[in-house]
Amino acid sequence: MTPESTNANNNDRRHEIRFAGSGGQGLQLSAKILAYALIGEGLYASQSQSYEPTSRGGLSRADLVIGPDEPDFPLATAADFILLLDQVAANDGAKIIKPGGTIITDQRLVPSPPSGDFRLLALPITDTAIAIGNPRIANVVALGVLNALAALASREALEAAVGALTPAKFRELNLEALKAGYGMAEAETAESAA
Amino acid sequence: MSKTEANANRHNVQGNHACALAAIAAGCRFYAGYPITPSSEVAERMSLELPKVGGVFIQMEDEIASMGAVLGASMGGLKAMTATSGPGFSLKQEHIGYGILAETPSVVINVMRGGPSTGMPTRPSQGDVMQARWGTHGDHTAIVLAPASVAEVYTETVRAFNLAEQLRSPVIVLFDEIIGHLVETIQLPAPESLQLIERKWADAPKEGYLPYAAGDDMIPPMPRPGDGYRSHTTGLTHDESGFPTQDPAKAEAMLARLINKVERHRDVVDAADMMATEDADILVVAYGTPARAARRAVKEAREQGIKLGLFRPITLWPFPERAFLAAAKSAKRIIVAEMNAGQLLLEIERIAGRERVSPLLRFDGEHIAPDEILDAVGKAA
Repeated sequence: MTPESTNANNNDRRHEIRFAGSGGQGLQLSAKILAYALIGEGLYASQSQSYEPTSRGGLSRADLVIGPDEPDFPLATAADFILLLDQVAANDGAKIIKPGGTIITDQRLVPSPPSGDFRLLALPITDTAIAIGNPRIANVVALGVLNALAALASREALEAAVGALTPAKFRELNLEALKAGYGMAEAETAESAA
Repeated sequence: MSKTEANANRHNVQGNHACALAAIAAGCRFYAGYPITPSSEVAERMSLELPKVGGVFIQMEDEIASMGAVLGASMGGLKAMTATSGPGFSLKQEHIGYGILAETPSVVINVMRGGPSTGMPTRPSQGDVMQARWGTHGDHTAIVLAPASVAEVYTETVRAFNLAEQLRSPVIVLFDEIIGHLVETIQLPAPESLQLIERKWADAPKEGYLPYAAGDDMIPPMPRPGDGYRSHTTGLTHDESGFPTQDPAKAEAMLARLINKVERHRDVVDAADMMATEDADILVVAYGTPARAARRAVKEAREQGIKLGLFRPITLWPFPERAFLAAAKSAKRIIVAEMNAGQLLLEIERIAGRERVSPLLRFDGEHIAPDEILDAVGKAA
């Protein structure tokens, strides 16, 4: 399948997405960017969060419940996709994965990924961000991977959302990070299809 | 509205921010408060929005002074609000009582966290249901609204200002930490589409003016500062002149009017939401976040052929008893789901009888999930 072929706009399904890692990785922003892109396409998003009272380090989690109208229950209970960017989030963060769902982990920062009844993709997200020029854009690389695989927002809407919600001086860098994420997801899709 | 919240005329807004935006849209032009988790974003947003509309924001030295300032601003003619959480709500109670007795319109937001005392500041709770009803001393009415979504935080905050103005009373808006911090997609109503109510101002002859003389609606018009009315305001029991009295007939008349003015207006005060109640064998009663879990539980139960319904009070106090009795008519069992050790439960037991009612309670700082409601329904069926 091509990533754009099951845009959530075209059907009725609800999606639950979790972004989990450590404080300071920018995962709340990743969730906010995706939610912003989705509402521009006529969908509803409920975003909840959990984080510890430290500005760096400690578990940080953002959950999105996405659908065609206001969800009955706004908190995630069975995630279709979970993004894990830090080992600290790997245990508790993965608990709500739906059977057959997908967990995307960072190869470098999650050395012991969870295992179970789900598809696990361990990808060089942080390494790619470093190669582009800044480890701090790993959250946007990861967002690109996630959206390409989950086919939630259109690529144009996501690019526009990155532009709207990130500082102007980092815009080009963030768009490059998004592109790298898409590239990684497409390579992964091609590989699993082969 | 901030640019990063709006896309194609739709908005992703946090519950606490929706509260602040609604207050501004309702005409609130004064905020005094002392920040406290998990309500601080209400104050933060008000401090950004009020200057844009010529309003006043004051961070006071504490919650007691905040409530005093809100009442003073309201007597000065402005729509005024404060926001807090459990420990701060306790401190405001003395002045909330003054606001009830002196009939001073005001809106108090309480974003509930775990208690007692400082408890669990970042965890959700519904432990202030009885504090909202009976937190201040003496016999009194309480008007308490309990939204269950970000969209409803907006509409109920607007309604809180309308009720405060119309009924000349403090109005409390009560929601849990999850609703306060949840970001949801909402369609903001156009400001001109909102129906806003302003308090009645006195226009009687100034000679012989009685500031607490009420007409048929039991609500005395307020003297607008600068209009030249001589008036007196006190927290002591008073007669129509506004001056203290201990005359038993006048004391009883004053308190009876304060209670009856709310009873007289139950048609605008009461609000409740019913879901699949007509033929329900089992009825869940829930408000705030547990009501969202119950909505999903009702749909899943119905798919399994279980006749489950939901009664969701939007006005918690006075409890919408008439609507509840209609919704509970066919129910053999009633489950009260709330994030406390059993507070609204007492009211439901009083109305429906203890033998029909089962509790589903959590007070561990965690929410009630749809599956927990379905489990409780399974046991009750």
